[in-house]
Amino acid sequence: MAHKRRREKRVLDPWSNEEVTKNELRKRLTDRFTKENIQLKEEIQRLEAELQEATRNSQIKEDIPETKVKFTSLENPETDSQFLNISCSFQVSSPIFYELQKGQALITFEREEVAQNVIRMGKHHIHIEDVDVEVVAKPVPLNSGVRFQVHEEVSKVKINVSEIPDALPEDQMRDKLELSFSKSRNGGGEVLCVQYHRPSHSAVVTFMEAGVADKILKKKDYPLYINENCYNVIVSPYTETHLKQFQMFSGISERTVLLTGMEDLQMMDEEILQDLVNIHFQREKNGGGEVEVVKCALDQPCIAYFEE
Amino acid sequence: MSVYDVALCALQEEQTRLMRRLQELQQQRRELRDIPPDQVPFSVPALPLVFRGHTQQGKEVPTCLVSKLRICYPLPGGSALVNFDDPKVAERVVQQKEHKIDIEECRLRVQVEALELPMVTTIQVSTQISRWSVLVSGFPAGLRLSEEELLDKLEIFFGKIRNGGGEVETRELLLQGGVVLGFTKDTVAQHLCQVGQFTVPLGRQSFPLRVSPYLSGEIQKAEIMFRPVPQSGLVLNIPDVLDGPELQDILEIHFQKPSRGGGEVESLRVVPPGQRGLAVFTATSG
Repeated sequence: MAHKRRREKRVLDPWSNEEVTKNELRKRLTDRFTKENIQLKEEIQRLEAELQEATRNSQIKEDIPETKVKFTSLENPETDSQFLNISCSFQVSSPIFYELQKGQALITFEREEVAQNVIRMGKHHIHIEDVDVEVVAKPVPLNSGVRFQVHEEVSKVKINVSEIPDALPEDQMRDKLELSFSKSRNGGGEVLCVQYHRPSHSAVVTFMEAGVADKILKKKDYPLYINENCYNVIVSPYTETHLKQFQMFSGISERTVLLTGMEDLQMMDEEILQDLVNIHFQREKNGGGEVEVVKCALDQPCIAYFEE
Repeated sequence: MSVYDVALCALQEEQTRLMRRLQELQQQRRELRDIPPDQVPFSVPALPLVFRGHTQQGKEVPTCLVSKLRICYPLPGGSALVNFDDPKVAERVVQQKEHKIDIEECRLRVQVEALELPMVTTIQVSTQISRWSVLVSGFPAGLRLSEEELLDKLEIFFGKIRNGGGEVETRELLLQGGVVLGFTKDTVAQHLCQVGQFTVPLGRQSFPLRVSPYLSGEIQKAEIMFRPVPQSGLVLNIPDVLDGPELQDILEIHFQKPSRGGGEVESLRVVPPGQRGLAVFTATSG
């Protein structure tokens, strides 16, 4: 007897307008969702990478100018690390400045309240050479920058060794390195340990005494003995560098005010104008107070640095 | 529901979540495009600055300022550092590698070397908005907590998942007054920045503190060069025959003698045998 095949319920697949079984529709939907979700995940990953890239600020690349140093004091090293390393630290910060345009001036008051008051008053009329010049006082827009400390430590007991030949297996090479660097006739000394990394042909040799590393580093290479052969390996200082106190900041001027509106005074002597501006803003009746500094740019723009 | 329906439901829910995340990111990208290139999409601490008259003509601005240079050089026992007024004298003294110093009972033999100090000549730092760290700011003035106490209290609060935080890996107090907290999971930093404001107990009182993204820097490259200190010489291998103050005097007298190649000594510091010293060098002004 032939079984009557149960008629499977047919439904409409809205995407392809076909009539399919419920199971078939489910399968199609599952496939579709799975594929879409994969695409969404890829798109999300791409966007996340793009945003990460976009918010990566320009790399800071600096040549540090040569600075002369002088002996200041003799202290006691507090930790072993202080005694085993030459440490060098300094601060790097972005200069914050305002480019003063022709006809503009900067005035620094001793007190913040005075500066804020001058800005609040907005327009000021300064009597210059029988003419009333209208000057506008505004806050100084300043850029943002970064500041950080660099701490560098150069070891007095460790050295970097590179261009080590592949002549021996790891353990044996480590021993040969230790033996060669112990030979005082070549400038070596008692070795504490050797860290050898065969894939990069390099090693770090740690000596017992501080003076040995200095002696070896006076030359750029060192003889490594392997059986009858002598190889020259390259030696260099072992250093570690750290960044501390990394911070981004935006400059804000609380006591210095920007004055604009003096473009027509380009023929004047800058110093004379600065004196007149100074005198005007020293007077309380003009809304001013004690003035520290005034700088006017008349015939050419100039860069004004802001400091702490 | 059949097992297929459950699976389908899960896929639909996942798609809804993914669509929402995608929209979030697209919105962020739109916001980023609206911001001028030299600004950042979040507020940073403000540093009050003042114009003191320091100006420069021309358009060339240095991209960085270096300050607070400090180099510490360890001196072993039985050594001394001699600093001359005249670098030429130092050069002469150093060239004569061995010095014989006559004292009553005997003759001291010491070695003199040039002093070379390492200095960073080039530095390359890449900056990026950190995925694991946040900046906590908005501390009230006059907060009477030591650095350690403040960091502990912040780590306790932000270390708790129930406060929206997570395990803290690093912490640093910035001299400008903010605190950087680094977490073991990057989702924590993201979540805390989204919330933005937290009321944190710091001692007897609680204060509203702000959490914002932290721009972090990483050293890509730092090149160093050894440079001699022209006025100084390193005296080594001083035998252990005299006491500290006596030794200092004897050495100073010797190095002052023009007949021995010496000259005016600005300062001389001895590290007696068996002790350790750290010679500190700082930048000369001008």
